[in-house]
Amino acid sequence: MASHYEAPIRKPLVIGDKNYHDVSVDIAAPIEGRANRQWWIVFSIALAALLWGIGAIIYTISTGIGTWGLNKTVNWAWDITNFVWWVGIGHAGTLISAVLLLFRQKWRMAINRSAEAMTIFSVIQAGLFPIIHMGRPWLAYWVVPIPNQFGSLWVNFNSPLLWDVFAISTYLSVSLVFWWTGLLPDFAMIRDRAVKPFQKKIYGLVSFGWTGRAKDWQRFEEVSLVLAGLATPLVLSVHTIVSFDFATSVIPGWHTTIFPPYFVAGAIFSGFAMVQTLLIIMRKVCSLEAYITVQHIELMNIVIMVTGSIVGCAYITELFIAWYSGVEYEQYAFLNRATGPYWWAYLLMMSCNVVSPQVMWFKKIRTSIVISFVISIVVNIGMWFERFVIIVTSLHRDYLPSSWTMFSPTFVDIGIFIGTIGFFFVLFLLYARTFPVIAQAEVKSILKSSGSKYKKLRDAGQPLYQMPTEIAPAREVEVAEVTKPEETAKVGDLLSKLGTFDPDTDKADDLKKVKGIGPKMEQTLNQIGIYTFAQVSRMTDTEYRMLDEITGAFPGRAQRDDWAGQAMKLNKKS
Amino acid sequence: MKKILKIGILFAAVIAMVSCADKDSRNYQYMPNMYFPVGYETYQEVDFLPSGTEAMKPAENSISRGWLPYEFANDLEGKDLARLQPSPLDSLNAEENLAVGKELYDIYCAICHGAKGAGQGTLVKREKILGVPSYADAARNINVGSTYHTIYYGLNSMGSYAGQLDYTERWQVAEYVMKLKQDLTK
Repeated sequence: MASHYEAPIRKPLVIGDKNYHDVSVDIAAPIEGRANRQWWIVFSIALAALLWGIGAIIYTISTGIGTWGLNKTVNWAWDITNFVWWVGIGHAGTLISAVLLLFRQKWRMAINRSAEAMTIFSVIQAGLFPIIHMGRPWLAYWVVPIPNQFGSLWVNFNSPLLWDVFAISTYLSVSLVFWWTGLLPDFAMIRDRAVKPFQKKIYGLVSFGWTGRAKDWQRFEEVSLVLAGLATPLVLSVHTIVSFDFATSVIPGWHTTIFPPYFVAGAIFSGFAMVQTLLIIMRKVCSLEAYITVQHIELMNIVIMVTGSIVGCAYITELFIAWYSGVEYEQYAFLNRATGPYWWAYLLMMSCNVVSPQVMWFKKIRTSIVISFVISIVVNIGMWFERFVIIVTSLHRDYLPSSWTMFSPTFVDIGIFIGTIGFFFVLFLLYARTFPVIAQAEVKSILKSSGSKYKKLRDAGQPLYQMPTEIAPAREVEVAEVTKPEETAKVGDLLSKLGTFDPDTDKADDLKKVKGIGPKMEQTLNQIGIYTFAQVSRMTDTEYRMLDEITGAFPGRAQRDDWAGQAMKLNKKS
Repeated sequence: MKKILKIGILFAAVIAMVSCADKDSRNYQYMPNMYFPVGYETYQEVDFLPSGTEAMKPAENSISRGWLPYEFANDLEGKDLARLQPSPLDSLNAEENLAVGKELYDIYCAICHGAKGAGQGTLVKREKILGVPSYADAARNINVGSTYHTIYYGLNSMGSYAGQLDYTERWQVAEYVMKLKQDLTK
């Protein structure tokens, strides 16, 4: 490792004295522990929103599209707005995992898993809208060119709506494969750590028998690179195709050649904002601050700033071209956006998308977690309005003044949108509790180059690893005396709940069998007077807390590793 | 063994689905959106009309555009008067009219009267029906006007063909019958 050179300017990507085991424990903790009350509250809210959305969708499909606020002139509004918005959000995941991989960005390792999960969950939301906005969704299979009894009646391959079908379905399937491939070593890690047989079985199934041999890793790397190479053009083309829905039309305000790159930039912009929103919460909730550092947040903010500026340039270009074109319809379309009945939406979009990312030029702001969080939400509001403005303001006033009209959504429009948000969070919350939210295999690959512990060792000129020379002292079964009086009281309290150990009648168990208890911790426990699995298995949240107070080491560790549950099983076995 | 079971289950499912089709009743439809008519079809059964069907008789003595009532009555006197009327068809188109008349005759008349008009149609040969005279029968003494009259009203055992043939077609058949008579008496 001495030959390794890394520029001293690079900040550590993993902070704290983390070694490989700590990475595994930290990442497995949310999966192996139990969901807390807050998780259940948020999950219930998301589930309620989802159920409400399902109701709205069933109502729409069974009653008709007329339950929405659409009219003859504005025949696309919230449905396609939400569709494009969700597709856009989904783009950041692939960008982070594919494009940043091609550019060898190490900082992506801590965020790619969640970003890809976000891609998949948001593309699922997006995929709902093309179906439910159909007048006859039960005939949706007709968009697929399958041989049939209508004299093999085929689809017309000239419509961008058909390209959408191919784009979205390919995008979802490729992302899913890419994501799952990356998950194999991580699932295998969970599988190997699992104590409960059911958990072991499930993670054994989803990890596809990953054993981590050299040949496997070599092919794994190759597949990741090839998929990244495929996903990059895919991510660019998918949103391009989505933009073709508008760009290939003849509507003034839609018929623009700038749409493909501008939509893609907007997608990255909104997608990164969503990743930012989710990860700022996740690092806190899952205690992953050591992996998702302020530097990660800052770098994402820089991407948001860059893509936000691209979007800003696109707005200015559109306005310039409208003026420069001399086409009255085009000019009126933009005049209408700025001064028409939807001026507030245009103003909101402009201020959220153009102004808000520009504050990221200040280091103070882009390294502030609170401001980043607020701006990331503002950006997504702005990007929703961008799609709304493009779709509705271009449709509600176009060529014939006799067909000018207004649009206002009904509660069904809104309910479906809320439902998709609920669905997204239901999926994401379940994901956060069952999937390794950080690609531990990848983080471990950069730990020695970018981990703060190893950086320090390297800077000090010390070797990164030393063989342990100390041998743990032989343990003795005897009730140790406790010195301090207040500790004695606490220990007494604890033992009164767990039961005392009588060396004459009881037999001491090997507490090291419980995962999370090492030789040192065992000694500490023995000093307190805990010797058997039976004692450990009686521990609940209050006892854990009392134990933490007494020992002062590894707060929360016992709870996370579920010592009581493990001990209960071991007790039954012995 | 497990594989065989799986294939078996799949096979059974396919058989079960296919077996639901019944030849004696209409097949199942997937989402019959515009399969059943919203408007009224000609012979559709309806509850609200006295005849129980969508097809109703027009009002008596009403004359529709492009149609005129037949002026002679359905009796011997009317038949005698009908003998006097000539064919209104254009004699310059006699060839075409006879060709059409032959087609219609072969469809509607030849089954009893025979393709040559000698009263030897298939039904007569099989003795399903008896007493069909030849057009050449001197006692009958048919001409184009009386033939038209007979097609219109029918005669004795013969029923009316006014429902099957329209005005022009009836004259075309009548002219063709005259031709058959000529050929028979030649």
